[in-house]
Amino acid sequence: MTGAAWLLRRLVASVAIIFAVVTFVFILIHLAPGKPCGRIGGGEYVDQIQCDRIIAQFGLDKSIPEQYWLYLVALAHGNLGYSFSLHRPVRDAIADTIPFTLQLAGAALALDFLLGLALGIYQAVRVNRLPDVVIGNVTLFIYSLPTFWLALLLLLIFGEKLRWFPVGGPNDPVLCPLVDSLYCAADRLWHLVLPAATLGMVGAAGTARFQRAAMLEVATQDFVRTARAKGVPEHRVVLQHQLRNALLSFITRFGLAFPFLLTGAVLIETIYAWPGMGRLAFDAILSRDYPLVTATALTASVVVVAGNLLADILLGIADPRLRVRADSDAHVLTA
Amino acid sequence: MLSAMLRNSAPQLSVYIVLAVAVLASCERRGGCTGANCGTIIDAAVAEPGTLLPPSSEDIVASDIDEQLFLKLADVGMSENTLGDEDFQPLLAQKWEWDGPLTLVFHLDPRARWHDGQPVTAADVEFTFNAYTDSAVASPFRPKLHRIASVTQRDSLTTVFRFRERYPEMFYDAVYHMRILPAHLLRPVPRDQWRTAQFGRQPVGDGPYRFVRWQSGQSIELVADSTFFFGRPGIRRLIWRFTPNLQVAVQQAIADQADIREQLVTPDNVDRVRAAKHLAVYTYVGNVYTYLSFNQRSPVDSTLPHPIFSDREVRRALVMAVDRASLLKSALGDLAKVPPGPTSELLSWIWDPDLRQLPYDTAQAGRILNARGWRDHDGDGVRDKDGQPLTFHILVPTSSVLRRQYARLLQEQYRGIGVHVEVDELEPTVVNQRVGTGKYDTAILSRSNDPSPSSGIAQSWTRAGFGGSNFGRYYNPEFERLVDRAVTATTRDRARPLWRAAIETLNADAPAVFLYALDNVAAIHKRVDNVQIRPDSWAALLWKWRIPPDRLIDRDRVEP
Repeated sequence: MTGAAWLLRRLVASVAIIFAVVTFVFILIHLAPGKPCGRIGGGEYVDQIQCDRIIAQFGLDKSIPEQYWLYLVALAHGNLGYSFSLHRPVRDAIADTIPFTLQLAGAALALDFLLGLALGIYQAVRVNRLPDVVIGNVTLFIYSLPTFWLALLLLLIFGEKLRWFPVGGPNDPVLCPLVDSLYCAADRLWHLVLPAATLGMVGAAGTARFQRAAMLEVATQDFVRTARAKGVPEHRVVLQHQLRNALLSFITRFGLAFPFLLTGAVLIETIYAWPGMGRLAFDAILSRDYPLVTATALTASVVVVAGNLLADILLGIADPRLRVRADSDAHVLTA
Repeated sequence: MLSAMLRNSAPQLSVYIVLAVAVLASCERRGGCTGANCGTIIDAAVAEPGTLLPPSSEDIVASDIDEQLFLKLADVGMSENTLGDEDFQPLLAQKWEWDGPLTLVFHLDPRARWHDGQPVTAADVEFTFNAYTDSAVASPFRPKLHRIASVTQRDSLTTVFRFRERYPEMFYDAVYHMRILPAHLLRPVPRDQWRTAQFGRQPVGDGPYRFVRWQSGQSIELVADSTFFFGRPGIRRLIWRFTPNLQVAVQQAIADQADIREQLVTPDNVDRVRAAKHLAVYTYVGNVYTYLSFNQRSPVDSTLPHPIFSDREVRRALVMAVDRASLLKSALGDLAKVPPGPTSELLSWIWDPDLRQLPYDTAQAGRILNARGWRDHDGDGVRDKDGQPLTFHILVPTSSVLRRQYARLLQEQYRGIGVHVEVDELEPTVVNQRVGTGKYDTAILSRSNDPSPSSGIAQSWTRAGFGGSNFGRYYNPEFERLVDRAVTATTRDRARPLWRAAIETLNADAPAVFLYALDNVAAIHKRVDNVQIRPDSWAALLWKWRIPPDRLIDRDRVEP
C-alpha cells in the first residue's frame, strides 16, 4: 500500500470516528437527565410553563431522531447551531475559545515534552545514581498528584502568597483587555505560566518516566555497545544512537497527549479562569446546552484524531520498519 | 554536542526568557487620571451572564451589571419598604401622581438620555411593559406584572399605568420589576428572537455606566457616563472579571487583583479576607434562606400523597428531631442565622426569632413517631411501619458544598431517632428538574426574597405556587387566608401581625425544616469610599461609590 493510500484510509477512518463521537455525544446528552432551562433563565428554578416555552422555542420538544437529523443537516451547511446558555452562535463561542486552548495546550505540550525528554535522558544517563533516584521519586510524586490540587497549590503559593504570578484569568483586565501590543502579549504569557506549568508538569513527569524506560531499553542494544566500542563520544552515543531509537515511545506519547491535555484542561481552565474550550464544554454540560456540548465534542474529537494521525505519520517517518509492515499488511489484505 | 550546548546554555536561556517577560510585564502602561472621578473597580464574579437584556437576564451577575446600564422608573430606598410609594427614590421618573385609585401617572425626567444620545420617552416605557408581558419574550418577570392592565403614553414624557385592582404594592409592581428599554433599538427585533438578540451582548442603556466590551469567558467592562443626569459616577471604570471557582475569586481579592468579592459565603473565606490588610469586610443583610423541603406528594405519582410526608404529625416530628442551632454553628459559625420561617433577613420587619416554631426535642419527636406507628419492630435501628422502613432521600446539588455538608449532618441527626436517610448528590440541572417535577422525597433548597413578602412567601408556599416554586405542594387554607389579608394590608404595622400569624401557622404544619439564612459578607478594597450597599441589590448604589484622589493606585489611573 502506498503512503497516499494509507493516508486516505486513515482519513476516512478518522471521519468515521468523528461522526461516531458526534452521534454518541448527541444522543447521550439528550438522554441525560436534566433540562436546559435552569441556565437559560439564569435563576435556580425556572417556572415549568416558562421552561416549556423555551424548550419549544429552541425545538427541543421534537424527538431525538428528528433533532439529530436537523442537527446533521445544519452541520452539513456549516451551522453548528445556537447556544441557548450563551445566547450566541455556537461557532462564535468555539472560535473565541480555541485560541486560548491552543495557547494553553501548546505551552503545556512544549513544557511536557521538553522537560520530560530532558529529564528522561538525564535519568537514563545517570541510571540508578542519586539524581536518577531523586528525579524518579519527584516525577512519581507529581504524576500522582490530582491536577486540580496542584493547580490550587500553585495558585496559593505563587499567586496569593508570593504574588509572583496572577491569580487566574488570561490577562490583566485593566491594562490589557485586548492583546493589542507587545506589552499585552507579554502579559498573556505571564498569565499563562501557572496554568501551563500545572498541565505541563504533570505531563512532563509522565513523559520523563516513559523516556527513561525507552532510553534504558535501547542502551543495551548491540549498536549502542558498538558505538561506544568504536570510541564515539558519550554525548553522541546518547543523542544520536540512543535517543533517535528511543523516540518511538516519545512520538506515541505525543499522540496520546492530546486527549490528556483536553481533559486536563477542563479542570485547569475552570480553576485558573482560563476561557478555553474545556471550561466552555464543562459549562455547556452543566447547563445542558445540547448544541454547544455536541460542538465541543466535535472539535475535541477532530483535535484528538488529528493528533493521533500526526503521531502515526511521524512514527512512519521515524521508523521505516512500520512503513514496511504497513505495506506487507496491505499485501496480505489484497492477496 | 547538542547535549553539551544545552547543558551550558539552557539555564542562561531560560533566565533570559524569564527576564524578558518580566521586563515587558513590568513596563506598566500608566495613565494620567488623578482627579476625583478616577478609579477602576474589578469585581471577582463567579458566574458569567448569558445575556444583559433585562427582561431575560434573571441571574445575579446580569442583574448587577444591568443596575449600572438600565434605569427603572423609581427604586426602593434603603428602608426596603414596598408598601405605598413614600419610600421610593425617583430615577427615570422625576415625579408621579395617582389619578384615581387604579391609575398611576409618571412624569419622566427630560434630562434622561440613552447612551446613543436619543431621549428616553414615554414610548420606551410603554414598549417596555408590552415586551415584559409578551409571552414570546418569556420573561421571568412577567407573572409579577399581571395586575397591571396597561401602560400608555399621554405625551412624550408622561406615561400612564392602569391596574386591574387596588392593592398596597401597586407602585412597587409598577417600578421594581422592569428596567426601561430603548424602543428605537429593540422594536425592529422580533420578540421571539430577543433571547438571542445581539443587543443582549452589546446593550445600549440609559444608566450611570455605558457598555464598553464583553470578552467571553473573561470580563465585562463598563465606563462611567460623564453626562449622566444624576451626576457623574464616582468610579470611572467597572470591570466584572469572571472566575468560576469561588476560592480563586476570593484569592484574587486577597492578592489585590480584584477590588470586590460581594459574597464570601464561608467562614474560612471571611477569616482569610480579614487577614488581608488592604481589604475591608462589609456585612449586609442576606436575602436567601435555605430549607429542607418535604414533598407532600408521591414522587412516583403526584396525584397520590407521599407515604411519609403527607402526614403532618410525622413532618412535625422530623422538624423537632433537627438541632438547627448546632448544625448552623458547626457549618457556618456566626455567618448565618436560623430563620424563624420561610424568610430571609431582607424582610427584617417580618423576621422575628420569637415567632412560634417547633422546638428541638428528640424525645417528643420519638413519641410522635411511635404514636403514628413508626417503631423499630425488627430491632435493626430503623423505625418501620407495616413492614416499610422509615427511610427517605435528601436531594442536594453537587455544586453546593454547604448543602452537601448539611445533608450529611441531617443524615446523622435523623439516624439518632431511627430514621434512615440516603443523600443523593446530583448535578444542579438534574436537581432542578427533579424538584420542578416533584420527583423527590426531600431536597435542600434555597430561595431568595425580593423586598416584598407578597411575591416571595406567597409564591413559594401557597397554592398559587403549584407548578411553580411551591415544590413540596404545601397547602393550608388558613395560611392562604392570612397571606391574602397580609398582602392587602396598607401599612407595615398592619401587615406585620398578619405575616407573623401566617408564618406561625406554616411552622406548625412543618412543610420544611428552615435551616439557615446566610448573612452576606463582602470584601471590598479599603481605598473605596462612600460604600453604600442596599440589601436587595449590593450593586444598586455602586455609582455613588468613589475613590478619593489620595488613595488612587496604579490601576485607577489607567485610561479606559
